[in-house]
Amino acid sequence: MKHVVIVGSGTGGTFAANLLAKQLRSRIKRGEVSIELVGESDEHVFQPANLDVALKGKRPERYVKRESRLLNPLVKFYPEAAEKIDLGDRRVYTKTGRSLGYDYLLVATGAVADPSMTPGLEEGSLNFHTGPFNAARIWEKLKGFSGGRVVVAVAGVPYKCPPSPNEAAFLLDEHFRKRGIRERVEIKLLTPYPRAYPAEAISEVIEPLYERLGIEVVTFFSMDSVDPKKKVVYSLDGEEYEYDLLLAIPPHRGADVIIRSEVGDEEGWIPTDKHTLFIKDYDDALAIGDATNIPISKSGVVAHLESGVAVLNILSGIEGYGEVFRYNGRINCPMELGYGRAIFVSATYDKPPEPQKPSRIKAIMKSTFSRIYWKALSGDLEWIFKLFLGECASPTNGGKTVTLAPAR
Amino acid sequence: MTQAEQRIVVDSRGSFCPGPITDLYKAYRRANVGDVIELLATDPAAKSDVQAWARKTGNEVLEIVDEQGYIRIVIKVLRKR
Repeated sequence: MKHVVIVGSGTGGTFAANLLAKQLRSRIKRGEVSIELVGESDEHVFQPANLDVALKGKRPERYVKRESRLLNPLVKFYPEAAEKIDLGDRRVYTKTGRSLGYDYLLVATGAVADPSMTPGLEEGSLNFHTGPFNAARIWEKLKGFSGGRVVVAVAGVPYKCPPSPNEAAFLLDEHFRKRGIRERVEIKLLTPYPRAYPAEAISEVIEPLYERLGIEVVTFFSMDSVDPKKKVVYSLDGEEYEYDLLLAIPPHRGADVIIRSEVGDEEGWIPTDKHTLFIKDYDDALAIGDATNIPISKSGVVAHLESGVAVLNILSGIEGYGEVFRYNGRINCPMELGYGRAIFVSATYDKPPEPQKPSRIKAIMKSTFSRIYWKALSGDLEWIFKLFLGECASPTNGGKTVTLAPAR
Repeated sequence: MTQAEQRIVVDSRGSFCPGPITDLYKAYRRANVGDVIELLATDPAAKSDVQAWARKTGNEVLEIVDEQGYIRIVIKVLRKR
């Protein structure tokens, strides 16, 4: 029997488990293959909605569902934290003492937004990166905010959802304008990048908007610390900004299990081949999504698209296709600009993002995705994503092309 | 006892914006005043981005060298809290 173990039950891990279960349905039923998924808990959070909770007052409970109900029944799910991953011995240990041997391992443990990594940040700021219930604290604060300095600050790179600081700034502007108090609020964005958004073509679209809305963008900002009592944020080079409300994008790191198992770099990101998604020096272990060190957006769409490529490579091993499939680096991150308009930051490894016009249709597409997310996790809607985003995996040898289709 | 100045080599070759600036940002966090950061990059935008970064943060670009197939940018850390 071949054992596939997946660690991490976020977007990437759940997509991968369900896609594998569909593709290997007959083999699983015949007892030739098992798909085992280890997740921190039985909760699955639709993380992109944190922004809606924080800045539009959506209820956080709407975006949390039971993982066990989202999984194909052929997947064995262990809602218990992974304690250790031993790549040499091909084994995963959980905190409850379970020991799972594997023939193929997929690591999808995500990223941890950790405000404690910056002195004073935890006490001095609110954020929408550490879960929907913390995001709801922002909305509570905003409702009673009557004027002052609001600072949106990036405290470390990389972080989940690159457009999110910009989206926060634009949605704050919309919020205060709708309440008629915009002239009493100063909004500032502090970013470590050379421009409002790292990709120049996207910056060209949003910088005029910042100017028009009167939002100041401070570039090359390297956060050092926050003084929660004085309400001041400091940069490494000695700049300081006072605030009345600080919305921070906390520094991120790899998951605890990755750091404990010493399979990541100094920040806990797993060294991963950006095309094949195999973990460096291993041909039986892959990593996807936020957990990797691949220099690409840490976002749900990347975790989703990479899960398809990783699944093909696992299938190739089990079914003997003799192919290694390669990810083309496709990203497609929506960026809300306020007042029902959005753009998509779309690129591949070989094709940088291009300038585009903000539109209502793109904002509608973003909100539609939040409605179909739970259904999409089953793997039944892959054809829609393929239609919209194109083929993201290609076989190295140019031989067998495999299309992931819903099994009947 | 003063801490010996260190040379931090950052290899950003093969990575495009914001890769080199992200790597420089991380190296700057680890560095002390007096340290030298040597950034290797293939992204042509790294030249202007790093120069703008140095102007803004009060650090100094010592040299920018076009090596075979990549750029080597040497930065001296002059300002750090």
